[in-house]
Amino acid sequence: MHILICEHSIDGIFSGIYEAYARRYGHRNTELALSCNLNSYQLFCEYEEIPVAEAKSRKVSNTLRARFGSEVYSHLCEAISAYESPSARRRSIDKAEAVYKTVVLGLSLADGSKILDQLGNPYVNRVFQLSRSTFNEAHHLLGFLRFSELENGILFARIHPKNDVLALLADHFTDRLPLENFIIYDQVRKIAAVHKSGSNYMLAEVPNGADDYAKHYSDQELEYRRLWLAFFHSIAVEARKNLHLQGQNLPKRFRPDMVEFHSDSSDHPASLKL
Amino acid sequence: MQITQEMSLIEKLHILTDAAKYDVACTSSGVDRGGNGKSMGNCLAPGVCHSFSSDGRCISLLKILFTNECIFNCSYCLNNCNNDVKRASFTPEEICTLTMEFYRRNYIEGLFLSSGILISPNYTMDLIYQTLYRLRHVHHFNGYIHVKAIPGADPVLVEQTGFLADRMSINLELPTSESLHRLAPYKSRKTILKPMRQIQNRIQQNKYALLEQNRGTLCRTVGHETGEVSSARNPQAPRFVPAGQSTQMIIGATPENDFQVMSVAEGLYQNFGLKRVFYSAFVNVTNNTNLPMLPQGPPLLREHRLYQADWLLRYYHFQVSELLSEERPDFNIYLDPKCDWALRHLECFPVEINQAEYRTLLRVPGIGYKSAQRILQARKHTALTFADLKKIGVVLKRALYFITCGGKMMYRTKLEEDYICRNLIGDRSQIPREIRQSSYQQLSLFDLGHV
Ligand code: SF4
Repeated sequence: MHILICEHSIDGIFSGIYEAYARRYGHRNTELALSCNLNSYQLFCEYEEIPVAEAKSRKVSNTLRARFGSEVYSHLCEAISAYESPSARRRSIDKAEAVYKTVVLGLSLADGSKILDQLGNPYVNRVFQLSRSTFNEAHHLLGFLRFSELENGILFARIHPKNDVLALLADHFTDRLPLENFIIYDQVRKIAAVHKSGSNYMLAEVPNGADDYAKHYSDQELEYRRLWLAFFHSIAVEARKNLHLQGQNLPKRFRPDMVEFHSDSSDHPASLKL
Repeated sequence: MQITQEMSLIEKLHILTDAAKYDVACTSSGVDRGGNGKSMGNCLAPGVCHSFSSDGRCISLLKILFTNECIFNCSYCLNNCNNDVKRASFTPEEICTLTMEFYRRNYIEGLFLSSGILISPNYTMDLIYQTLYRLRHVHHFNGYIHVKAIPGADPVLVEQTGFLADRMSINLELPTSESLHRLAPYKSRKTILKPMRQIQNRIQQNKYALLEQNRGTLCRTVGHETGEVSSARNPQAPRFVPAGQSTQMIIGATPENDFQVMSVAEGLYQNFGLKRVFYSAFVNVTNNTNLPMLPQGPPLLREHRLYQADWLLRYYHFQVSELLSEERPDFNIYLDPKCDWALRHLECFPVEINQAEYRTLLRVPGIGYKSAQRILQARKHTALTFADLKKIGVVLKRALYFITCGGKMMYRTKLEEDYICRNLIGDRSQIPREIRQSSYQQLSLFDLGHV
């Protein structure tokens, strides 16, 4: 058995898939594994590290887009971006391997766009579950993300997502707010999506954090926060109060980044006087 | 009006949100509209929740009244003219500013504008129209707008407003015209159903017009295959209420049973082409003696069963006459309506997962419409087992009494009503956690008189 070890990223796994085809050991004799998943080495297996190669990765992504269509392609990317807890990771098929075998199966079909229907197949099923978890978190954040207006008019949002959803979010807000200057900062991965009015966004690494950026709010910012809090508290129906349901729908982990759940700052509802 | 001029914006927002909150519809769903690069906003068909209030309900739209002044006297409503509450009115510009500033901070998905009736239905409808016009054409807002049509307003105003909105609604308020007459004497079935019909017809006409136009564009582009771009750049005809219309009924203020309520809903879906009917458990806010006092809190579990039944109508091809009848006019409060139906039709079961057709799968408790679709896809490639069903998302603890995989049931079990019923009721998820845990509901579970 040949085990190709690849980096945990879209480029890393696509480079691995490229090599798996190029080496012609036969798909049955080849497995992909993420470097972070390798704790022990098995006997009778040959291990090779596959370096990230952008050109090869691009060839793979072009082929997949052409053969599977953009919808399945983005599900594959979402699956790769999905977060898994270490224990979940140990219990299930390696993510790189699941994507690889799904691709092999898909390319053997006349119509690759149907590949994700084969939920009875364990590799496909795994890819489906992973992409669903990324998609769900991204969809949550489309609503839960909060922008604050900085002194210079730029809208700034901070997020702490489990999955790597920044690009999905940036796509959405570029379409929605084309004329705004905005920054979405993923504090977990220290990456920011930066959007300039009238153009597309760019991703930038921010190794030193974004705190210096986001210190000074515009004069209006606190006013609109107060208005939002007034709305947020008035809209609840007292006779239906149900914090359990609220907790079920809006998991606690999102709340530190949402102004209506801040309790420490001066814009707390308690300090709001009508 | 004098007072409202001096009121601060935050105080108005407080009053006019408080007065709008009993309207249950807050979804931003039903229309897909990409951004246009020039103005602010887009729409996603599934809708987006931006927050959840302390009652656990989704906040998607800035849901406010234009004014809580009202010349009508509906007895269930806080704003009725006999009630002594603080009154306030927004200006159109204030609503635009709030919407734009909340939207760019991603607090909301759009606006839901309703109103009490100030001076006259026409006067009020015109104010609403002015507001939407400013929002769309001065502030270039391209996000979601849900607006109320005011019963009794001039059809021309309703029509103009509809071209600026994504969804329109007129609340039916109560299931029968007798109840409406008793509790909302200034409203009538006629003033509610007339604009509803008008909106329905206009949506239809608009769809045809767009189809015609697209066909025109298509011919022209084909004719000019090599030709100039300009011919394809045909301005889109304005769309009328693209996300469809919805309505709301208050549940538990009047004596109608579930059969009456669901039959009305079915009629609205079939004859008025409504997108959604919402059910609102009655909250007695006015302490009016004409109305039930409900010391156990609003009938939330009954409301929940009605929503479940509503799903069965819209997504599962059920008819009301299959679920309820004159002899059995109310749902079993302990079971969801689909389990209840299955128990009374054991002759239809068990069904074989690897063979049953889509509509048959839909009727199995524990199989949702998404799981049913996944089953159809997945079984083309392999014979499905119970383990596969679990991965697909089927709730086996409910489904297991009603299905076979490859001719075998999951466990040896009796296909017998009492036995299955006892097991299903023993499953606590029959009553959703949010209702079990809601402190207001503990008594009313057994007090609703619906069992
Ligand atoms: S018309 Fe009736 S329901 Fe509407 S605001 Fe006036 S009193 Fe309330």
